Amino acid sequence: MNDVGQSVEITVDGRTVLANPGELLIDACERTGTYIPRFCHHPRMRPVGMCRSCLVEVDTGRGPALQASCMLECSPGMQVDTESERTRKAQAGVLEFLLVNHPLDCPVCDKGGECPLQDQTMAFGPGESRFVEEKRHFEKPIPVNDNVFLDRERCILCDRCTRFADEVAGDALIHFQGRGSDTEVNTFPDEPFSSYFSGNTVQVCPVGALTAAPYRFKARPWDLEEVESTSVVDSVGSRIAVQSSRDCVLRFQGVDADAVNWGWLCDKERFIFEAYDHEDRLGTPLLRGDDGDLAPTGWGEALAAAAAALTDVDPDRIAVLGGARLTNESQYAWTKFAKGVLGTDHVDAQLGDGLPADFVLGLPRATIDEACTPGGIIVLLGPDPKEELGSLYLRLRHAVVHDGATLIELTPRATGLTPFADHSLRVRPGEAVDVVRAMFGEGGTAPIGGVTVEEAQAVGAIVSGAAVGQNRPVTVLLGRQSLAEAPGTVVDAALVLHDWIADVRFLSMLRRGNVHGALDLGLAPGLLPGRVGLDEGRPRFAAAWPTTPATKGRDALESLRAAADGEVDVLVLLGADVLTDVPDHDLARRGLEGAGTVIALDLFATPTVAAADVVLPATAPTETDGTVTNLEGRVSIVARKVTPPGTARPDWMIAVELARRLGADLGISSPDDVWAELSVVSPIHAHIDPEALAVQAREGILVSGGPALVRPAPLEVPSHDKNSYRLVVTRSMYDCGVLTAHSRSLAGLAPVTRLAFEPTDFAALGVAEGGRIEVRGPRGNIDVVVGPDSRVTKGTAHLLFNQRGVSAGDLIEATAAVIDLTVVPV
Amino acid sequence: MGYFRGFAVTFRKLWEKRVTIPYPEQKRDKPERLHGRHVLNRYEDGMEKCIGCELCAGVCPANCIYVRGADNPPDDPVSPGERFGFVYEINYLRCIHCDLCVEACPTEAITESKLFEFSFTNRSDAVYTKDELMVDGETGRPQQLPWEDWRDGEDTHTSGWMRATSPSGSAAYVGKVSWSGELGYGIRAPEQGRSGGEANGDDEEEGS
Ligand code: SF4
Ligand code: SF4
Ligand code: SF4
Ligand code: FES
Repeated sequence: MNDVGQSVEITVDGRTVLANPGELLIDACERTGTYIPRFCHHPRMRPVGMCRSCLVEVDTGRGPALQASCMLECSPGMQVDTESERTRKAQAGVLEFLLVNHPLDCPVCDKGGECPLQDQTMAFGPGESRFVEEKRHFEKPIPVNDNVFLDRERCILCDRCTRFADEVAGDALIHFQGRGSDTEVNTFPDEPFSSYFSGNTVQVCPVGALTAAPYRFKARPWDLEEVESTSVVDSVGSRIAVQSSRDCVLRFQGVDADAVNWGWLCDKERFIFEAYDHEDRLGTPLLRGDDGDLAPTGWGEALAAAAAALTDVDPDRIAVLGGARLTNESQYAWTKFAKGVLGTDHVDAQLGDGLPADFVLGLPRATIDEACTPGGIIVLLGPDPKEELGSLYLRLRHAVVHDGATLIELTPRATGLTPFADHSLRVRPGEAVDVVRAMFGEGGTAPIGGVTVEEAQAVGAIVSGAAVGQNRPVTVLLGRQSLAEAPGTVVDAALVLHDWIADVRFLSMLRRGNVHGALDLGLAPGLLPGRVGLDEGRPRFAAAWPTTPATKGRDALESLRAAADGEVDVLVLLGADVLTDVPDHDLARRGLEGAGTVIALDLFATPTVAAADVVLPATAPTETDGTVTNLEGRVSIVARKVTPPGTARPDWMIAVELARRLGADLGISSPDDVWAELSVVSPIHAHIDPEALAVQAREGILVSGGPALVRPAPLEVPSHDKNSYRLVVTRSMYDCGVLTAHSRSLAGLAPVTRLAFEPTDFAALGVAEGGRIEVRGPRGNIDVVVGPDSRVTKGTAHLLFNQRGVSAGDLIEATAAVIDLTVVPV
Repeated sequence: MGYFRGFAVTFRKLWEKRVTIPYPEQKRDKPERLHGRHVLNRYEDGMEKCIGCELCAGVCPANCIYVRGADNPPDDPVSPGERFGFVYEINYLRCIHCDLCVEACPTEAITESKLFEFSFTNRSDAVYTKDELMVDGETGRPQQLPWEDWRDGEDTHTSGWMRATSPSGSAAYVGKVSWSGELGYGIRAPEQGRSGGEANGDDEEEGS
């Protein structure tokens, strides 16, 4: 990991070994083939020396002595004996001690069979215990939150879970309590371990003290089969191990990809598999019959109906929305079908909740590692990573808390990173560009909302001076800060940052699964696969594709508007639940009603699917082979582990079938075929093929390069009226989205939202907390429950998107730059 | 002359005791430790011994056991402890009656009876379910399925007692009760081992 400086020469069991400077003895030994037992040591957490099982005899010149090898950095000339009689006796003794209070209920313990305590007792333990007295007893498993159980009898007090909660996740809600033999791990009274990352403690616990409800008693390790894959819950692309038994996925575990997730997962990534296995999954095509109802049918009839609807239609009257959850291969197949066969460019994988595709592709990009460079500067101009990109949050938090990175926040509401931020500028919707200008001395001297010009300039000095003077790399995390403001605000602000900070790089925070794959593979208006615009790309595709669209098409919102006006004859939805996910619910409703034939590929019968005319069941990520592209542009493998329900098919196969019925051959008969074609048409993908991916499976392969930066026209934002509140709509980790709602262990965690105001604003309203008021917005008056929230900025009102309580989608009008709400007096 | 010598053997055997028996009307006594079809045992209070740990399924060389555990309902537990055997199936088209499952079981839940004479007319009959394997909830005796031919006394020599007193155990435990009681039989007294007496103090290593 660390290869600066000279190697350190040490001797391990008579062998000379080269250690990296600062490397811990236990790691150096393991890297060179000598395994030392350990429980508390974890490569991604700081050493604590809790368990003492890693004792080895070390001589640093003062004679051999037993030392904990996880606490000891290698120093030149160190003589280590991991096999001496004293080492063995010490290790066996420690294991005997650890087993004094450990109940031997391995047969009923979920960890039994994959338990480091079992394994290391067999390898290094004493074989028999001299302890015949009664062991200590606790109530058998107590829930520490909705998904994690704690069995304190089994706990060996290794401090891994508590360190994770405190050091890595920053949710220090489980702790050691009591002294001596009464020490136990527990939560604070009446305060559950409510952390988005609690599942990691189950994975790091070296015994079965922490177990996860979704896996509890489901299987034993010896009947699990495993493949390594990539999570598509969000766009971080965390590596996961998919474990199944009897064709049923039972568990996801985090895999340590050094460039991505470091082995951690958020609970949504970890437990989402329950949705893929849900009995409500669509397993057969549905067709709307003459009676107006959707009825199950065969693939032949369903595809024929879809193909008939697409035959002889003006390409300008076809729109394709969604596709961000598809694999790269399926995305390419669908782009080729939509743009190359049907000839429409009204294709958009984002649903009005992202950023303009060509703009994102044109920005200089950063990787996660670059963003997290020790001592770097991170500017957050986007959503709360803790809520939207859980494992990225852990990396960012580590960079800021442990690696000296400086965080600057420009957000409309406090985020999960606010406690660690160097500066948090609370930017009201529509004002980001003014604040950023003020940072660099542009604009007037009047404060912008609550941000004074001095404060903005102080921040500006850090980001610009740093990049030039102290050589600290600046990364901007860029995404939609609020779904209730037009993307133009953030785009304009990003352009100012781009122009003022030398060598600034951007890390996109578009969140949906494989949305970056969709942009790279052309599922966006005006783009062709390979991050290239229609006109520049056309010559490359002339030979490979039957046709290419002539002009840039409509984005998702424009397509829905056109559909509402009766200008769309066929609307194809690739796993797009427009009624839920498009921020403007009214527009989505009208678009869906106004569209001619609606063809939907999906996993579940979402409300949108219920309104479709042809429904084609697609496969989930655990049932599909392929690749995905994460927010850095990293392509990594998604592996099929189980069979899909019923006759569900991969999305690429459906595109191929439809094309065949329209008389075109996509030339794809397996996901691998896509790479052969991509290597010809997309230079940025030329270095990737299935063999290269298999070799670099864990870290994936980065795609780089892109078009020139585009500069969309600046957004006009109406000035803020003192008597109104600017609406801020953000997402939380768990919402009423179809996947979360179908995961038994996550569904109940979605919060109920209410219109939240900054406490003094709230006091001025003169309503009791939880009371109702009527607000007027662009979509008319609506009656909402209100409450105070100190994370909200003065002059704004906040809602969570897609939650029970208040439907934010009913307040948002997509054409508006910002949404101003006024309180209707009673 | 040679012709009669051949008959001599016949005549001699004619008066010896016959070795054949009119099977199946009449059956021979079976050896005590014969490996027959399994039973799942209960404790004296009627609770199931199986905890759904899948160790038997894991060890089975024929891969014929399918077990799934589940959380014990707290108000009406099926077995003592947190977990119970929720699904339990043995496929007798595959079982080779090696008894490794019996060796692996930490609770003496699964043991073998003496019944090996059973035939099936369809495959699903050959897959014994948990209900079929479980001993009767009143008497603790194996259930007799329609196609099984049980004779008197064949159901008594089952249970963990058979295994715990088997000669492969450590001599240090000869004569010591180290098995749990079971429904219908209570705690069975140890049988006399082949050595016929108390532990001889010869401290053999316990198998792991
Ligand atoms: S619960 Fe597990 S991880 Fe936590 S201290 Fe105990 S043994 Fe370690
Ligand atoms: S007796 Fe042997 S083959 Fe039969 S179920 Fe037991 S372990 Fe399997
Ligand atoms: S029979 Fe024994 S080994 Fe098999 S699952 Fe039940 S308790 Fe475990
Ligand atoms: S691993 Fe070194 S003390 Fe625990």
